[in-house]
Amino acid sequence: MSQKLRIYLTGVGGQGTLTATTLLTRIILDQNLPVVAGEIHGMAQRGGVVESTILIGGWQSPSIQLGEVDILLGFEPLETLRGLAYLRTGGAVFSSTEFTPPPSVSAGKAVLPPMESIQKSVAEVAEKAWFFPIKTIGLQAGSQQSGNTALIAAACASGLIPVSIEALEAGIRKYMPAKLVEVNLKAVALGVEALHTTGKH
Amino acid sequence: MNHPLLGQAGERHLLLGNEAIVRGALEAGVNMVACYPGTPSSEVPDTLNKLRACQRFTLEYSVNEKVALEVGGGAALAGALTLVTMKHVGVNVAADPLLTMTYTGLPGGLVLLSADDPGCHASQNEQDNRYYARFASMPCFEPANPQEAKDMTKAALLLARETQQPVLLRTTTRINHMRGPVTFGPLGEPAPIVPFSRNVRRFVPVPATARARHPMLLQHMEDMRVIAEKSPFNTTAGNAKVGVIASGVSRAYLHDVLMAHGWEGKVRVLELGMTWPLPEQKIELFMRSVHALLVLEEGEPLVEAELRCLAQKQGLPLAIHGKHDPLTRLGEYSTTKIAEALGAILDEKVENACGLHCEELPQRPPNLCAGCAHRSAFYAVRQIFGDDAMYSSDIGCYTLGVLPPLSGADFAFCMGSSISSGSGFAHVSGKPVVAFIGDSTFFHSGLTGLANAVFNRHNLLVVILDNGTTAMTGHQPNPGVSAEVLGEQAAHLDIEAIVKSMGVARVEKVRGYNQKALQRTLEELKGQNGVRVLLVEEPCVLFARRTLKKARTQVAFVAEQGEAAEKCLATFACQAFCKNAEGVAVDEELCAGCMVCMQLSPAFKARKRGTE
Ligand SMILES: Cc1ncc(C[n+]2csc(CCOP(=O)(O)OP(=O)(O)O)c2C)c(N)n1
Ligand code: SF4
Ligand code: SF4
Repeated sequence: MSQKLRIYLTGVGGQGTLTATTLLTRIILDQNLPVVAGEIHGMAQRGGVVESTILIGGWQSPSIQLGEVDILLGFEPLETLRGLAYLRTGGAVFSSTEFTPPPSVSAGKAVLPPMESIQKSVAEVAEKAWFFPIKTIGLQAGSQQSGNTALIAAACASGLIPVSIEALEAGIRKYMPAKLVEVNLKAVALGVEALHTTGKH
Repeated sequence: MNHPLLGQAGERHLLLGNEAIVRGALEAGVNMVACYPGTPSSEVPDTLNKLRACQRFTLEYSVNEKVALEVGGGAALAGALTLVTMKHVGVNVAADPLLTMTYTGLPGGLVLLSADDPGCHASQNEQDNRYYARFASMPCFEPANPQEAKDMTKAALLLARETQQPVLLRTTTRINHMRGPVTFGPLGEPAPIVPFSRNVRRFVPVPATARARHPMLLQHMEDMRVIAEKSPFNTTAGNAKVGVIASGVSRAYLHDVLMAHGWEGKVRVLELGMTWPLPEQKIELFMRSVHALLVLEEGEPLVEAELRCLAQKQGLPLAIHGKHDPLTRLGEYSTTKIAEALGAILDEKVENACGLHCEELPQRPPNLCAGCAHRSAFYAVRQIFGDDAMYSSDIGCYTLGVLPPLSGADFAFCMGSSISSGSGFAHVSGKPVVAFIGDSTFFHSGLTGLANAVFNRHNLLVVILDNGTTAMTGHQPNPGVSAEVLGEQAAHLDIEAIVKSMGVARVEKVRGYNQKALQRTLEELKGQNGVRVLLVEEPCVLFARRTLKKARTQVAFVAEQGEAAEKCLATFACQAFCKNAEGVAVDEELCAGCMVCMQLSPAFKARKRGTE
């Protein structure tokens, strides 16, 4: 049986978390690895939390319990922190640093935890962690949404997910609508670059 | 037409559970599909909708589940192989035809997909629709992964055609929304239409016919038990004295628990995929082969109760463990819960991992989109009625109006209940009642409530929030959708004309973004009695952008910080507003340019998008 790996992805509704999950899962299946994926998105289109999972290596159920995740991909830093309970000690985190404030924060009734404290909490559990401004990177590539692809590319380039950058690029060409391919390939390059330039925390 | 779901036998694709159901239906040669959308079932019809051009089947979005099942039932009477899809609570709406269709049988064959939602991820309750298999007397299939979702959909349809009796395909959110590899079988040619032959002693259930059909239905279920005994979906594996009987998604959890803890050799497992009627002989043999038995099923202890009966009948001494903490009737099961329950029986210590606990973080509840006209309508109603009125809500995006500061919901039961329960509430409380209902919900079951309100001379204000789509579940067509969008497929129905023709005393229509007109009209309606209807028209923002291709040319900004801006933030709370160090800001990316905020407060002004 192949290596077992449990990935947890989290973000905000409408941000493209599920599209990113599906893309990555398809590419993993194309590597002939046994894989299942799950998603929970109650009424998420309306800006709620969107969580999804990818399990490689022979799992049959798509759900992940607290403390079980090997890799956490956080497309929004507050959700990275909320999802941290799922990470196992010694796991890895790839997270955005750019917030999408929830309603209570927008209304001035609550405050966001500072990025430094999120990084500190992550460091308490994770062995490795990388943080990127993925919205900015996405915009640089040509669309904010493509920042998700950059985060995935960074995770692939780290070697922690069994998908090579070539396989990721091939998957983008195969599965994404033609008009989005160029931008997303650019996002891949930027994501890989960011991994190498951003020191891990 | 070219689409991965129309691929060749032997191909393998990553599919969502609901996409797998679609492929299974196509492999069986489904002729007719009727549905009413509802999470987690909606991707089944919505995927089929994208495949219409292949011309293998007919799909209709019916106005509610009862109608969908009746249309499907009629089609199946006329000989079509039929699939009807809905969420679990939809089956309550469809229960009336369902419980008699099993008496008459349906020559073309009909499968009912009931997508249940343990854990209430997107539902108002977590009812267990396996009851309906028992209640209505129909065989039931429960897949545990996308491959089975495809295979069982096909098997269910073929069984329904063969036996001319309805079959239940019961899924849960985890399965509907799980992705996994699916290997295709051959695409089936559309099934031949079974000619209808008149037979009033079968198809017209007058009492004498119904009495005669009932024993035939019971016999049918005994025949189905024989099928269940041999079903390839009911399998036994392993050799040990501790037994587990599992069904639904619990089978997947069980597999993962055994794998993670290395307990494969320690249990004997009976997996049930065809879960009604139960293969009693198979189960009895299984129970005789073990000393202790754990039953794994989310929801109600249905299989468990049957097993206890069986054990008692057969005088079997084994210990049966079922619903008992942490395996309760509440919510979903999980690998950790199952590991704990099984570990206790195996006398194995389980150390479930637990993650870092973070301090309380700001919650992120779902919220009405920036520019949603529902927000504008709720705001106006609140301005005019404040806390004096009681707000009877309904099911749709507008249920989110319950959140402060809008606080536009005091009670709700189910789709369509706003008008009728508002009527009853107003009658007893003597308070002013405002009922909110969306366009899709109005056609679903608001029509009857409104007819009743007029008929029985009730006293309430009904606000119909017509955003021109079924927004909550993913923008499916409904009769309120504009003729341009519906195209050839379906006809538009005019809500205003319908309401007027029902004899509603006072009917007003306003644009959802026009605060002045909204508030003025509400003020007038407040002073009147009887059934009054305010029709608020404004397309859903997401629908306007994606389907109507409306450009957002304008964007709001805060021209002057201070009390006025703060007040608008506190009372209107558009999702595009954001509190920052300077005061209030508008997120240009989120702002839909609806121009409502500037009607409420002089602090907000508009400018062309992209100009600073
Ligand atoms: C009986 C039943 N069927 C389906 C659903 C799922 N459902 C929830 S809201 C909704 C549609 C609401 O549409 P509409 O009334 O137009 O309001 P909108 O979301 O567009 O504001 C549906 C189908 C349900 N909750 N109950
Ligand atoms: S999807 Fe449409 S109806 Fe629902 S909250 Fe958003 S704008 Fe409003
Ligand atoms: S115009 Fe005002 S109310 Fe409308 S979406 Fe933009 S900020 Fe919100």
